[in-house]
Amino acid sequence: MSYFLRKLGFYAVALWAALTLNFAIPRLLPGDPVDILLAKLQQRGGTVSPETREAYALLLGGDDTGPLWSQYLDYLKNLARGDLGVSVSYYPAKVSDVILSSLPWTVVLVGVATVLAALLGVLLGAVVGWRPGTWLDSLVPATTLLAAIPYFWLALILTYLLARVLGWLPLQGGYDVALTPGWNTPFILSAVRYATLPALTIVLASVGGWLLGMRNMMVSTLSEDYVLTAEAKGLSPRKIRRSYAARNAVLPSVAGFAISLGFVVSGSVITEQVFSYPGIGGRLLGAVTNNDYALMQGVFLFITLAVLGANLIVDLLYGLIDPRTRARH
Amino acid sequence: MSLLTGMSRRAAALAGAATLGLVLTGCSGGTPSAGSEATLVAYTGQSGDYQINFNPFSPSRIGGLGAIYETLFFVNKAKVSDLVPLLGTQHSWNTDGTVLSVTLRDGVTWSDGQPFTAKDVVFTFGLLKNNAAINNIGFDGTAAAVDDTHVTFTFQAPAFVKGPDLLGTVPIVPEHLWKNTSPTEDVVEKPIGTGAYLVSEFKPQAFTYSANSRYWGGEPRVKKIRFVALSGNQAGADGIAAGTVDWFTGPIPDIKNTRKNFPNYDAYTQWQSQMVLATCSSVQMGCTGPQTDPAVRHALYSALNRTQLNKLAFQDTASAISPAFTLTPSQDRFAAASLAGKVAPMTAEPQKSAQILEQAGWVKGSDGIYAKGGQRLSLTVEVVTGWTDYITAIDTMASQAKAAGIELQAAQSSWNEWTEKKGSGRFQLVIDSLGQGPAPDPFYLYTYFFDSGTGAKVGQSAGNNFSRYVNPQVDAALDDLAALPLDDQAARQPYFDTVQQAIVRDMPYVPVLTGGTTSVWNTAKFSGWPSDQDLYAFPAVWSSLDAAEIFKRLKPQS
Repeated sequence: MSYFLRKLGFYAVALWAALTLNFAIPRLLPGDPVDILLAKLQQRGGTVSPETREAYALLLGGDDTGPLWSQYLDYLKNLARGDLGVSVSYYPAKVSDVILSSLPWTVVLVGVATVLAALLGVLLGAVVGWRPGTWLDSLVPATTLLAAIPYFWLALILTYLLARVLGWLPLQGGYDVALTPGWNTPFILSAVRYATLPALTIVLASVGGWLLGMRNMMVSTLSEDYVLTAEAKGLSPRKIRRSYAARNAVLPSVAGFAISLGFVVSGSVITEQVFSYPGIGGRLLGAVTNNDYALMQGVFLFITLAVLGANLIVDLLYGLIDPRTRARH
Repeated sequence: MSLLTGMSRRAAALAGAATLGLVLTGCSGGTPSAGSEATLVAYTGQSGDYQINFNPFSPSRIGGLGAIYETLFFVNKAKVSDLVPLLGTQHSWNTDGTVLSVTLRDGVTWSDGQPFTAKDVVFTFGLLKNNAAINNIGFDGTAAAVDDTHVTFTFQAPAFVKGPDLLGTVPIVPEHLWKNTSPTEDVVEKPIGTGAYLVSEFKPQAFTYSANSRYWGGEPRVKKIRFVALSGNQAGADGIAAGTVDWFTGPIPDIKNTRKNFPNYDAYTQWQSQMVLATCSSVQMGCTGPQTDPAVRHALYSALNRTQLNKLAFQDTASAISPAFTLTPSQDRFAAASLAGKVAPMTAEPQKSAQILEQAGWVKGSDGIYAKGGQRLSLTVEVVTGWTDYITAIDTMASQAKAAGIELQAAQSSWNEWTEKKGSGRFQLVIDSLGQGPAPDPFYLYTYFFDSGTGAKVGQSAGNNFSRYVNPQVDAALDDLAALPLDDQAARQPYFDTVQQAIVRDMPYVPVLTGGTTSVWNTAKFSGWPSDQDLYAFPAVWSSLDAAEIFKRLKPQS
């Protein structure tokens, strides 16, 4: 039991550190939101008179007047209440509303793509690793090549081929804007159709890593004594591959998978940018370029919680799955 | 690509996607657009999803201004012209500029059926005055209703120059709906206005306007307008190539051949933002570096080959600039007769640069760069990373300046950092553009960028006058101008002459070129777009008041 308590204590400290950094880092950015908003209006030919500046400073600048430590205390207090503040760039929308409206898109798209990439990579890796040195091994360089191509390039090439030249899939967006979002068949079908291309690019770009990891673990597991024993017992190769080799080889991939699930929340800034896909990545980018502290903190908070949560679950699961981890402590 | 406005430049920076845009849009378009024929699809450059906000006073509004909430008059900034009546039909000032009388249009109704009266106008201006956070025109007068169709605005001091702001930028809101809402915090999900359009649906990826059948000017012919959210200008250009966007203001590859590449579209450019190399100019305010010497600024001005610059950095979409910052040719009438050159030279004059520098005591060193008192004539130009057109411009100007013995270096930083440097005055040169005011009148540009009141010492945050220019004569002339009617050219010109002579002599902002704003629009689906023959509004989809005028004039092609 003390193992779990120790773990929970450790995570509480990590959470506090992350929250503190989360408070500090946005404030180290140069510029202030009012200046940036005005500079932007001006770039678009807007009239930015001294009166405009005063009005916007009054409208947006209420937060940053107190000393830093009192801002920090307020920040922690508000967090405890679940109040993430008001976004400056989407004023007067609440940060939590802004995030919650984009979160589902990211979680579904990146989540499904991550699961697919991991499943595909691990399955292929198990097959390839079972017979190292055969022609199947050529899958490794082929998929790592896809992973090595800069992601935006791969995405743009696929967009060009599938959306522009062949016209099979839509070029940009998250759904056909003529439909009404909600639980209705035409909308869901359209959302799936619009998500196919971005999901495909994510899967292609990340499947290589899973495949390589699994294949190598497979190869080293094959030389283990228990595999030899299983063979000596006369078990069928299929059974050995599935129940003995693959099961042990998959352990690191499971850990990696849990962590990458944590990162799903952070979305994929580039995917969302290339495909004009709605989601949290675009919001984060907008928050950073507009010095929207509250929104940045909100997004970082979600990412932090998701990553810490995923790690905690892996740690706890490992304690259950693998007694050796527990015994060492 | 001079049409890269601020936000587009940033978007273009992302992931170097701009390069691939050439590939993506390289193959010719012409795919017929999907959806119903009558819907106009506009992309304003919004990056990322929409958050609902139709409050016309909110800086983060996504729509509402112009098309739904109308102003009293429309000011056409694209050319010097009379105000276009909207909710107001006539306006006049008393002789000393303290009382403005406005006659309102009779028989206008709000889109919920209630009549529009002078009370709504008085209420709107009262709202501004009582809520400093939305009073971005600094309205300090008193509005009073004479009867249902007449309003007077009374001021303590002459307020002629506030006219265009007051008449042309303040959206009039209905008293019966707004008296109980917070003008700063309400996002007005169901806007009720007098304008030609109504909001018919909102989704985070798009919202749609539909025609207002009660509109006082007659129901507009374009029945539906959809605004879509994409990731940025690159996505906008892709939308044009794919035929899914009908109007987009921003850069597309190979602009000159738009008609050839995309037969359904045409591109149209207007010039408003005057690009400058702004200097931290004033030693008195704490600026340091060679650029504090006016001779250096003049030498740089003469060293530029603007024709070459336009071609290499801006795809030939920029145009000439006046050293007095009157838009040329549309505002030439305001330029002082005494000015030597009405337009900055389009070719380089290195001998002239040399002469100016040598007269000021600079001596050419063995490396071909001038120096004075041990200080080399080397200047750093601040630019935002990813503003590819400006970066190319600096590279081009650097090689041109080198021929004249001046060294220019680009320093790239993030948008936020660049804004910070500009505000605090910790820079030598900044490449930027000077924007226009609420009316096609150079007074506004002068008062924004040359009045010492909006400057500050280095280290403190400056307003618009980030070059920190200080000249009591200019300040005084601007104060006097503020007390004169905008249409009294004879009385105003002597003060304009004073300002222009001073700013041409001191040149705190070195004029480069006038940047163009290019709109690409679908001429196969709609006609009636602004043109050289009929420049009835500034053609930019993100400029909501102008866009509203354009929407009203468009006709679907059957």
